[in-house]
Amino acid sequence: MSLYVHFPYCQSKCRYCDFNSYAWTGQNMEAYVDAVLQEARSVAKELLPQTVFIGGGTPSLLSPQLLDRLLRGLADISGFVHSSKETTLEANPESFSREKASLAKDLGITRISLGIQSLRQEVLQAYDRVHDPEQALKALDAAQEVGFAHCNADLIFAFPGQNPEHWWQDLHTVLASGIDHLSAYELSYEPGTALTRLNQAGRWPAENPDHCQALFEGTRQACHQAGFGGYEVSNFAKSGAACLHNLVYWRSHSYVGLGAGAHSWYQGNRVQNLPSPEDYLATIQNRGQAIQEKQRPSPGTLLFEILMMGLRLPHEGVNLDRAEKLTELDALEYFGDPLSSLLDRKWLCLETGSQKERYLRATETGFLLLDEILLQLLPDDSNSPARKAQ
Amino acid sequence: MSETFPRERIRNFSIIAHIDHGKSTLADRFLEITGAVDTRKRAEQMLDSMDLEKERGITIKAAAVALQAKIDGEDYLLNLIDTPGHVDFSYEVEKSLQACEGALLLIDAAQGIQAQTVANALLALEQEMTVIPVFNKIDLPHARPEEIAEELEHVLLLEKESALPCSAKTGKGVEELLREIVRQVPAPQGDPDKPLRALIFDAKYDEYRGVVVYLRIIDGVIRKGDSVHMLGTGRDYDVLELGKFTPKPKPFKSMGPGEAGYLISNIKRLGDVKVGDTITLTKGERAEPLQGYREPQAMVWCGIYPTNSGDFENLRSALETLKLNDSSILFEPESSDALGFGFRCGFLGLLHMEIVQERLERESDLDIVQTAPTVPYEVQFLEGESQVIHSPGELPDSNEYQEIREPVVTTSILVPDFGIGPVMKLCADRRGVFLRQDHLSPTRVMLVWDMPLAEIIFDFYDKLKSATRGYGTMNYDEPRFEASRLVKVRIMVSGVEADALSVICHTDSAQKRGRAILRKLQKEIPRHQFQVALQAAVGGKIIARENIRALSKNVTAKCYGGDITRKRKLLEKQKEGKKRMKSLGRVEVPQKAFLAVLSTDE
Repeated sequence: MSLYVHFPYCQSKCRYCDFNSYAWTGQNMEAYVDAVLQEARSVAKELLPQTVFIGGGTPSLLSPQLLDRLLRGLADISGFVHSSKETTLEANPESFSREKASLAKDLGITRISLGIQSLRQEVLQAYDRVHDPEQALKALDAAQEVGFAHCNADLIFAFPGQNPEHWWQDLHTVLASGIDHLSAYELSYEPGTALTRLNQAGRWPAENPDHCQALFEGTRQACHQAGFGGYEVSNFAKSGAACLHNLVYWRSHSYVGLGAGAHSWYQGNRVQNLPSPEDYLATIQNRGQAIQEKQRPSPGTLLFEILMMGLRLPHEGVNLDRAEKLTELDALEYFGDPLSSLLDRKWLCLETGSQKERYLRATETGFLLLDEILLQLLPDDSNSPARKAQ
Repeated sequence: MSETFPRERIRNFSIIAHIDHGKSTLADRFLEITGAVDTRKRAEQMLDSMDLEKERGITIKAAAVALQAKIDGEDYLLNLIDTPGHVDFSYEVEKSLQACEGALLLIDAAQGIQAQTVANALLALEQEMTVIPVFNKIDLPHARPEEIAEELEHVLLLEKESALPCSAKTGKGVEELLREIVRQVPAPQGDPDKPLRALIFDAKYDEYRGVVVYLRIIDGVIRKGDSVHMLGTGRDYDVLELGKFTPKPKPFKSMGPGEAGYLISNIKRLGDVKVGDTITLTKGERAEPLQGYREPQAMVWCGIYPTNSGDFENLRSALETLKLNDSSILFEPESSDALGFGFRCGFLGLLHMEIVQERLERESDLDIVQTAPTVPYEVQFLEGESQVIHSPGELPDSNEYQEIREPVVTTSILVPDFGIGPVMKLCADRRGVFLRQDHLSPTRVMLVWDMPLAEIIFDFYDKLKSATRGYGTMNYDEPRFEASRLVKVRIMVSGVEADALSVICHTDSAQKRGRAILRKLQKEIPRHQFQVALQAAVGGKIIARENIRALSKNVTAKCYGGDITRKRKLLEKQKEGKKRMKSLGRVEVPQKAFLAVLSTDE
C-alpha cells in the first residue's frame, strides 16, 4: 500500500498544466493541512505505506511550520517514517530554499522532485512559470547540499520552434547536476489547458511530429549514455533510483490518496475526492471524508487499465498472471484477435519470468506506438467489457 | 370578437433592418407601448421567442403581430409583419413586404446603411410602399445621423429630412414612430363584398397543429368553418381556426380586408403550402390570383452521408422531418464510391445549408459527413439538349458536351473607402466582372460586380469582412447561367479516387485549387501506419501531389498519478473519433477533411 497527498495550490498556474491545481490567492493553507490530517485519520490510520508522495500543486509553497505540522501529523497517523522506503516531496525552484530542504529531510523526506521544466528564460516565460533559470540551478544545488538520498528533475521538451541545441544543453546540464532521476516529458496539449486553447486559436502551433520523435529518441539515447536507464516512457533513473511510488501506479498496486481531487485504488475500488479545495475542506470538516465518486471497475475495464499502465514499462511489461488474479480474465483470451495481431506484427511480445509467470511487453517499435496499441485493444463499445465480464 | 376591424383604421407594416440594427428590440418596445406585453413580465425580444405560447399548443414564432394602439384618441390596429433577415431568403422577404402598405427602414445611426438593407428597401420602394426611414441608436456617442441621412438621399432617393430618430433600447422616439406609421402609411385597400382573396406570406410547421399559414386578406371576408381553395396548388381545406398573434395566438371568427393573421387547417406537410399563393373560397365566384408565386431555386448543393452506412434510412427520415419545417430543402438519394449511400441536398444558399446541417445534427442525433458545397451547373450536350447537374460526379467526359454554364450573380458590395482596393482585388481574383461603383458618401462606396456564384459560396464573405475590417456588406440578386471554361479536378487518396472530394473549377485555377485541397488533406488526415499518397488530376493528367508520412510515434508522454479512469476515457474518446471517420481504401479520413475542398488558402 502506498500513500499520496495532494496539495492543490501553486504560486501561479502554468499554461500546459491540466492537474488539479490552483493559483494561491490567500486561501487558508493551515485549514487545508488540518483537513488532510483529518482525512488521514479516517482512511490512513496505521496504513504503514511502502511509499509516500507529497505532490501537487506545489507542496513546497507550505511554510516550514505547516510542512512540519503536515509531515509530523502524517507520521503519527500512518506510521510512514518506519514503513516507507521512499518519501517524495514535490518542489518548485521559487519556493525551495536550503532551509526548507533541510527541514524536509529532518521530517522524513528521502526524495525531492524538482519542477525545473527548462533552463531557458524565454521558454519558462512562455509557459507562465514563475521561476528563472538561476533559481532552477540553485534549487538543484540545494537538494545536493542537504543530501537527500534521491533527487528528480522534471523537464519538458518540444517547445515549438526551439533551437534543438538549447534542449540538448538543458538536458546535459541537468543530467550532470547530481540528480539520480529524470522525468523528461514531451510538451502535450491536454484538454482544457490554456496552452490547448492557444493552440486551437492558432496562436501556439505544435512542434512538427517528426522533430518531436527525433527529440524523444535523442533524449533516450543521451540519458542512456549518462547512465540513466529509461524505465518508463518519460522516466529515466540511475541504477536503483527508479521512483518506487510511480511504479506503484504503473504496476497497478494499491494506493490511498489524501487531499482535494486525490485518487485512491484499493480493495477493487477507484475513489476520487472532490476536486475543489473549498468543497473538499467543507466536506472533510463535516464528514471526515470528501468522496466525489467511488467506482468498482468491471473486470474487463480493469484489465485494460492494467495494460494501459503496465505497457509503459518497456523492460518489465505487464505480469499477466497477476492481472488474471485481479480480474479473473485471461488477457490473451479476453482481447482475442486484436491482441494476437499486435503480437504477429511484433508490436507486443510475450515473455516468461523466472517464476514461469507470463509477461506482456511492448517491443521497440510498439513502445513508440503505445497509444495505437491501446486504441486497438480498447473494446469497440466502452461498456462492452463490463457486459462481457458479467 | 366576431366583427372585422374597420379597414381605414388598420395599418400593415414591416421593419426592414440589417442584423443587429435593433429590429427585435424595436418590436419589443412596440409590444410594450401598445400594452400587448406587460412590461414587468416582458421577456426580451418577444418576437424571436420560440416557446411563445405553449398553452395553445402553437410553439412557433409569430410572423405577424397585431398591435392595438390608441393614437390621438382613435383605436388603430397595427399589424407588424416580420421579414426574414438574410440574402438566402429574399423571396420570402418579397412576399412578406407584399402583405404590407408600409415599412420602417431601420438603420443603425452609427453603422449606417448596409447592402442588404438597400436591397430590401429597394424591393419595398418597387412595390410602391411607403418607406419611413428610422435612425436607431441615436443616443450612441458615435452616432452620425447627418452623414447617414446623406447616404439615404443618395442611395434610395429618400428625403433626408424624412428620417425619424429613435432609441429602441431606451424607448425614446418610439411612440412618435407609431404615430407616424398611422399618419404616413395608407390604410389597406380592399372590398369586403368582393370574392375572398388572401395572400399567403409565410407558413410554419407546428408539431401540435400541423401547418400554420400566415395570411393577409386583400378582398372579401374569411370565416372560421369556410372551405378555402388555394389557387396555386389547387388544394382545398377547411378553416379550423383563424386568429391573430397579440402576440399570443388569439382565435377570431372572421377576418376582413387589410387584416393579417394565421389560419390553421388540417395541413400535414409544409410542402403542401406555397408562400405567395392566393387563398379564395371553394364555393362561389373565383378571385383572380395575386401576383404569382414561384418555387425558390436551390443554388447550393452538397452531399450528406451517414457516417454509419446502416443509418441511411434514419437519415432519410430525419431529412423528411426537417422538410416538414422547411419546404425549401431538396434532397435525392445518391451514392458515392467513397461515402456509400447518402443524399444530394439542395439549399437556397450557404447560410441555409449551415442552418439545416446544424438542425440535422442537433435534432436527429446522427453522425453525418457533409461534402463541400457546389452550385448547380448547366451542361450543354453536343446533341443540343442540356442538363442541370448538382454534383461534380455527374459531370460527363469533356468530349460529350459543348459547354458548361455556371450561375452568375450581380453582386452589390457596400464598403468603406479604405476597403475599395482590397475588395476590388478580391472580386477580380474570384473571376468577377466589374460593372460600376457609386459613392454613397465621401467615405462609403457601393461596388457592383458580376460574380460566379461558385466563387461566392467559398470563403468570399469572410474575405470581404477581413478586407473591410468587418464593415463590408453584400447582397446579390437572382442567378443566371453563363458559359465558362470549367474542368473537374479529381482527388486520389492512396490511389483510390475520392469522388466526394472532386470539384468543378475554372481551368486557370485548377492546379492551384488541386494543390490547396491536397495541402488541406495533408493537415486533416491523421498519419497512418503507412505512407499515404495524395494526388489531384484533371482528366488523366496529375496536376499536384503530396504525401502524408507514416506514423512512427504515438505515445502519451505523461501518464502517472492516480487518475487512471481519466486516461482510459481519453483513449475511448479518441477511439470514438476514429469510428466517425470514413474509409477510403485503407485510409481513414475524418469528416472535416471532406470540407477541405472549401480551402482556397495557399
